[in-house]
Amino acid sequence: MTQSFDTIVIGGGPGGYVAAIRCTQLGLKTAVIERENMGGICLNWGCIPTKALLRSSEIWHLLHRLKEFGFEADNPRFNFGAIIQRSRKVAAQLSNGVKFLMKKHKVTVIDGEAKFSAPGQLTVTHKGATAQATAKSIIIATGARARELPHLKADGTLIWTYREAMVAEALPKRLLVIGSGAIGIEFASFYRTLGSEVTVVEVMDRVLPVEDEEISQLAAKAFIKQGMTLMLGASVEALEPKGQTVSARIKLKDGKIENQEFDRAILAIGITGNTETLALDKAGIKTDRGHIVINEWCETGVPGHYAIGDVAGAPWLAHKAMHEGVLAAERIAGVKGLHPMDVSKIPGCTYCWPQVASVGLTEAKAKAAGHKVKVGRFPFIGNGKAIALGDSEGLVKTVFDADTGELLGAHMIGAEVTELIQGYGIARTLEATEADLMATIFPHPTLSEMMHEAVLDAYGKALHI
Amino acid sequence: MNAISTGRVFASPLARRIAAQRGLDIAQVTGSGPGGRVVKLDVENAIPPLPKAGEVSRPHPKEAGMTEGSLPAATAPAPKAAESAAAPGPDARLYFTKEAYTEIPHDSMRKSIAKRLTASKRDIPHYYLQIDCELDALMKLRADLNAKAPKDGPAAFKLSVNDFIVKACALALIRVPEVNSSWTETALLRHKHADVGVAVALDFGLITPIVAKAEGKGLADISREVKDLADRAKAKKLKPSEFEGGTFAISNLGMFGIKDFTAVINPPHAAILAVGAGEQRPVVKNGAVAQATIMTVRLSCDHRVFDGATGARWLQAFKGFIEDPLTMML
Ligand SMILES: Cc1cc2nc3c(=O)[nH]c(=O)nc-3n(C[C@H](O)[C@H](O)[C@H](O)COP(=O)(O)OP(=O)(O)OC[C@H]3O[C@@H](n4cnc5c(N)ncnc54)[C@H](O)[C@@H]3O)c2cc1C
Repeated sequence: MTQSFDTIVIGGGPGGYVAAIRCTQLGLKTAVIERENMGGICLNWGCIPTKALLRSSEIWHLLHRLKEFGFEADNPRFNFGAIIQRSRKVAAQLSNGVKFLMKKHKVTVIDGEAKFSAPGQLTVTHKGATAQATAKSIIIATGARARELPHLKADGTLIWTYREAMVAEALPKRLLVIGSGAIGIEFASFYRTLGSEVTVVEVMDRVLPVEDEEISQLAAKAFIKQGMTLMLGASVEALEPKGQTVSARIKLKDGKIENQEFDRAILAIGITGNTETLALDKAGIKTDRGHIVINEWCETGVPGHYAIGDVAGAPWLAHKAMHEGVLAAERIAGVKGLHPMDVSKIPGCTYCWPQVASVGLTEAKAKAAGHKVKVGRFPFIGNGKAIALGDSEGLVKTVFDADTGELLGAHMIGAEVTELIQGYGIARTLEATEADLMATIFPHPTLSEMMHEAVLDAYGKALHI
Repeated sequence: MNAISTGRVFASPLARRIAAQRGLDIAQVTGSGPGGRVVKLDVENAIPPLPKAGEVSRPHPKEAGMTEGSLPAATAPAPKAAESAAAPGPDARLYFTKEAYTEIPHDSMRKSIAKRLTASKRDIPHYYLQIDCELDALMKLRADLNAKAPKDGPAAFKLSVNDFIVKACALALIRVPEVNSSWTETALLRHKHADVGVAVALDFGLITPIVAKAEGKGLADISREVKDLADRAKAKKLKPSEFEGGTFAISNLGMFGIKDFTAVINPPHAAILAVGAGEQRPVVKNGAVAQATIMTVRLSCDHRVFDGATGARWLQAFKGFIEDPLTMML
């Protein structure tokens, strides 16, 4: 049996399901093919369940500070299994929510694994049975999985990827986290807060290497204070499971080799696109280092064939996948006046403690791009709400083009900054200048006042510092 | 805000500010943002940008100092030059350990070269035409003239092959004026004089001083002028007016033994001539192998400004002057 559609989306993650909704809104007859769970990594194994876990560790952290806020409680304890269970429940609730959205928007959901037989033609395999599906346009949104290297491979028991790290049966005593990007640092933060001894090994000479250097330094300081061990400029040369422990051979910054024992290790050294089982060659679609090659309109170069989200390369973020999903759908429907994907408008958030959030260029990148910059800073310690909350560590930093007043980038570390960054995102999208940001009245007392002050500071006008 | 735009214009604050800074009437700009809103990109596309981020308030690019870099500032070609001069792909530092290299920060000349030539390669549809020229007659004339030259005093000169090339280019530009042109978004500018830039390699970069109105200058004058410009370029003593603009450029790498190469056009030019070494090569003349001094030149052409046959006519004219150098004296 062959089913035919205007558009088929392969993969029901945030990229894929959003693309499908937008396609049906635009009047296209649309199907999503999903081999596992609607909602993809994001809802089932990524963004959402990790945030549920981190919420638990945040509460645990606060429980240790009860006295500070005037409470007393004896012996707070946690049930690790219950923490994991809550995270799974949250994921399941949202995955069901996506199924409902598909129904509501009249998107046909096809269960199974899709594979190209020719451009515009797919074979779908489900529980041993195969079916054919064809479409005028195809959006590939098959996502990605944890990257492994020949000498760094997960075994699912002692050496984990994020999947196992998210459903652990018990708290490991000594945990090695390889890689200090968002995923690595979020797990490091979660396990450290609950009491594991955490060592983070990072090849670059700073943690969260895509963030502004100043923010990386502040993050490192906070993590060290929490008792994490950071090995920067270092790399794990070999990982060997030994019964109940893992032995790691770590090459330090100075070239020396150190052998250490851990109970568990998490690989967080990046991700690689799910391209292999698609038979992309049958459609003539090209890949480069594990990702489908696209232009700024998500086009693969094969007419009518688009790729979005993690499978199409960095930054590997759900909101980037969703934005590309809308863009690809509108491109297919011939919507006029579209703007191509602008990477500098994609905010990045890490939900560790303290949180980190940013949008646009770092100070170093702005200078490298030839901008004369004005930089503003405002520390949490100068903000009334931060002190009232008991979260007085952190920084808000702005980078402006000195000539035009364009907000080139904003970088924050501290409590709730992931909820704040969108303000600067809107400013960038609307092309606000420093004058508009200065003229905005920010409510008092809020953490957002720091965003105002960091703008004022760039022009030597900060009031509370 | 500009007096002209009294009606309500739907534009972003940043677009308004950049338009005001560059003296552009925002009401004249077509918006590409949501609901036709004028955004930064639209304004940047509507004006030729200034030579360099950080110089926005400067009234006129001609005031740029020499440290601005060698290439003509007045009509830098592309809006996003600053971004695109940055390396595409990951920072090269990621591939090496800090001990394995020394880091040399960019000076303004390096930045300017990177920015303008990146924009040129990206935005100008280059095509290339190559031709061989026999130099024997020119070498003989050059030896004869140099023998007659006063050795001292203000009238002294020593002609180089390059001086003849400058002159031949200037005359070819007048003969085939389509090449002696500049591209703008709305029109071609056909130049009345041949202002020929001569690329000079410096320890710290590259600069292209200009022999203005070269078509009317004698060989001895050209020779003295090129030498003076090159000396002062090396001493960083050129005035901006001496290296900005120009209608054409020559890049000669013959002295390094380079036989043939391709050069990148420097806007506002529409072409650049890459000159290789003159060398003895076997040639077939009247069915027999003979020896001749041959120089290969390659013209990089802006296809927006003139097409292949025109470029070929220009090279024919140039070859004619070089191979029969007395015709340059006419
Ligand atoms: C631990 C972790 C935490 C994260 N936290 C965040 C965060 O806080 N914020 C954020 O923005 N991002 C976060 N991410 C990243 C985010 O999850 C991804 O960027 C996002 O899921 C990408 O969406 P996608 O639609 O491209 O792909 P995916 O979500 O990976 O979905 C792809 C779907 O395609 C299906 N599929 C694959 N191949 C086929 C096939 N051949 N046929 C049919 N179906 C197929 C898969 O089963 C999957 O459901 C996190 C990731 C991880 C791993």
